[in-house]
Amino acid sequence: MDYKNVSNKTPVGVIGAGSFGTAVANLLAENNPVILYSRRADRANEINKTKTSSGQSLHPRIIATNDIEYICKECFLIFPSVPSQGFREMLREFAPFLRPDHILIHTTKGLDVNLKTSDNILDKTISFEPSEIMTMSQVILQETNVKRIGCMSGPNLAKELAQHQPAATVIASHFDEVISEARNAIKSPRFQVYASHDIFGVELAGVLKNTMAIAAGILNGMGYGQNTMAFMLSRGVREMIVIGTALGADKSAFLGLAGIGDLFATASSPLSRNYTVGYRLAQGESLDYIISTSSEVAEGLKTVNICNHISHQLKLDTPIIKTAYSILFEEMELSEALSYLMNYKSSKDVDYV
Amino acid sequence: MLEPVISNIQDWPIARIARHQDEIIEDVSEESLNQIIHLTQQSKSIRDLIAQAVYLEKIRLKDDPWDVDPEDESEFWAKVKKRLSSYDPILTDKNEVQKIENDLLKLIIKRYTEEIIGNFDPKLYWFAQQTLPIFFGRLLSASSGGIKSIFKPKMALKDRLFITGPIEKIRQLSTKGTVILVPTHFSNLDSIIIGYGMTTIGLPAFQYGAGLNLFNSRILGYFMGNLGAYKLDRRKKNLIYIETLKAYSRINVYKGAHTIFFPGGTRSRAGSIEKDLKLGLVGTVIEAQRMHFEKEANDNAHKIFILPLTVSYHFVLEASSLISEHLKRTGKEQFIIADDPFQSARAIFKFFWELFSASSDITLSFSEPMDIFGNQVDDEGNSIDKFGNKIDIKSYFSRNGVIAKDSQREQVYTKMLGDIILKKFMTANTVYSSHMVAFVAFEILKKKFNETDIFTILRLTEEDREIPWDDFVFTCNRVRDELYQLNNHNKVKLAPHMTLEMEDIIEHGIRNVGLYHTLSPIYRTKEGNISSEDLKLLYFYHNRLEGYGLQKCI
Repeated sequence: MDYKNVSNKTPVGVIGAGSFGTAVANLLAENNPVILYSRRADRANEINKTKTSSGQSLHPRIIATNDIEYICKECFLIFPSVPSQGFREMLREFAPFLRPDHILIHTTKGLDVNLKTSDNILDKTISFEPSEIMTMSQVILQETNVKRIGCMSGPNLAKELAQHQPAATVIASHFDEVISEARNAIKSPRFQVYASHDIFGVELAGVLKNTMAIAAGILNGMGYGQNTMAFMLSRGVREMIVIGTALGADKSAFLGLAGIGDLFATASSPLSRNYTVGYRLAQGESLDYIISTSSEVAEGLKTVNICNHISHQLKLDTPIIKTAYSILFEEMELSEALSYLMNYKSSKDVDYV
Repeated sequence: MLEPVISNIQDWPIARIARHQDEIIEDVSEESLNQIIHLTQQSKSIRDLIAQAVYLEKIRLKDDPWDVDPEDESEFWAKVKKRLSSYDPILTDKNEVQKIENDLLKLIIKRYTEEIIGNFDPKLYWFAQQTLPIFFGRLLSASSGGIKSIFKPKMALKDRLFITGPIEKIRQLSTKGTVILVPTHFSNLDSIIIGYGMTTIGLPAFQYGAGLNLFNSRILGYFMGNLGAYKLDRRKKNLIYIETLKAYSRINVYKGAHTIFFPGGTRSRAGSIEKDLKLGLVGTVIEAQRMHFEKEANDNAHKIFILPLTVSYHFVLEASSLISEHLKRTGKEQFIIADDPFQSARAIFKFFWELFSASSDITLSFSEPMDIFGNQVDDEGNSIDKFGNKIDIKSYFSRNGVIAKDSQREQVYTKMLGDIILKKFMTANTVYSSHMVAFVAFEILKKKFNETDIFTILRLTEEDREIPWDDFVFTCNRVRDELYQLNNHNKVKLAPHMTLEMEDIIEHGIRNVGLYHTLSPIYRTKEGNISSEDLKLLYFYHNRLEGYGLQKCI
């Protein structure tokens, strides 16, 4: 199968045929031919045959492949869309075929940590220095020869994108040309694109909001209403900023689409994987059971573990993260957790702007 | 002393370029003009730009005149101002306005270019090369063997100067492309030491930008101006000057002039290795490389190599005034600025005297040469990526297969290069005993008084400054162990004397760091404990080891 059959324009690549990767491919296909990479050959064949991927119908301009060399050769603009856990490994496979003129725009809302004690990021005994934490763009820089890197982040729930609902995103990159290439490729009447040069801030905003999405899921699962939710979310934004700035980011990204915007979307939506983990937990399911029955990874679990570790090391004031960690990893009772938060020393409302 | 890579001075790139000064002036004028016109299309008008330059230059002339300023300076700017007010930009014909403004712009650019431009006189260079080592040799012998030895030179500067790094590769690359040397900057003596070091390893002369203030002295100015220095005037901050300076740098680098850039901009006030770089001129290197790729988009394109260099001294001539200035900048307390001792010939003489008479030494530690993207290069100058494969870097400048200028992209590349240089500075830094003792002493005081506020530590009374000897030795051992670890991971270098017994290292460090200064930054009390007569200096030398995470050993 060849994209040249459907268009003579340069195709855009997407790495990862999960629900979000597929949604991104469909958005891109409105403007360009798209090559969608799936790691497994049978899966790629299946996608081409059925014209569906992760439950979404595919735009006719998309073809799937499992040939790394082919996608790298044909596309100079590529959107990696794989979970943070497999991100580095994926890059190592792609690195030999990635050239200096490639542009990579990732959509992964997770962190990479070099673990010393365990391979399992959900292990409680993890140990690392905050300086060892890397965002996906930093991993790309480390593992490949690509320098023109961007990220896409914002309130973009895959299912809603698949339903063609209007939405917006942020493309962040140090390079103007990366932003404009990405915008030209993905902008459409149903998909608005905003720009930012603060890639680190935008990446962290998208990553950190996942922790709050889990907390929101827990609260909803406990049956609480909008007052409780609004309370937690406003304080949650503060904690995202506290951790983000401690890691060296600027505050502003947290107040935009990738921060508050994404938080609005995921904190109230059963479509969010992170929200769902929290919700199911509050409904009495065990974490192990939830993980084993989820089809895709909830990045937020790993992020809560990392954030709790950072907060502890840097002595940051982040009670929601701490409570979420205790619930997820230390089996803290939900009532106890809530009581802890409600009795936590109250301080100034807005101390972060 | 190694054989010169190119034996005939006339064949050196800098000499070749100096023979075509008129061409340089012409090219710089044309490029600056085009660039400024391009910039004004986006925001300000040319008229506003010239008016701003006139305004800033008049203030400079009034507030901060220097001997080196030409006599007709005021007259020139008055003329420009008069011409600017001789027409009404709205009522006058558009083409006429454009002509007047372009002519004025050309006039200003030409004046700036003629001021900036440096020369290289091979004969003078030869003379200096013959005489300076003799001068240093005599001084050295006299200072170490008594004044009579001044006539019987036995030692040479090279005995005090240690040069480490891939010397042979650097020599080879200097014949295959343009070498951009980016050193750390602690002292005004850096240029002399580095210049001497480069000659020692047989490299041709490098051009470098020297502060215009150094040209206030006619003799010094004559030598520098004819030995490859071009002039930078930090007082001139208007866009026309900045763009002219950048064009000058870009064209020279493009034409193949090996160049020294001090990317820190000025000497490190705090005594720490640079943490933040002023990248304006370094950016011209990226542009020059892209220009080569535009011209020749094949593998034969001329390459530019970046060579970071970390200079290590036991003591810094200007330490006292530098740290005072740093503390004043960081605020909170008014410090009286001591005279910059570099102005005094006596102080310079004393510096060399102390340097030679003691067992003090200087290390020039070169990092591996790299391309402008931080890739290593092989002996032939090919870029090698992190996987050990050849990499074609020209496509970093291309979009849709076409190599083209993109200023914003190049600004980001410049920033990336800056970050890489900073890392190299840290890993090539050679730790001396003096750095370690100063670091440990200051950090112990900080911990003892549980203070993060430096100013509180600097005000400690004499009694409070004392550190028990055993505690000091214990902590020094911990810090050295960590330094060994860092060294094993290639994160820092250690001077050979760092393998001595700990007590000997400490003694060596205390002796050397206190050599030059009237008040000792660190000394042993009669009771055998550690103390300091000058905490500001102790802080200055301590800062050299900031950034390695050594605080955890305290």
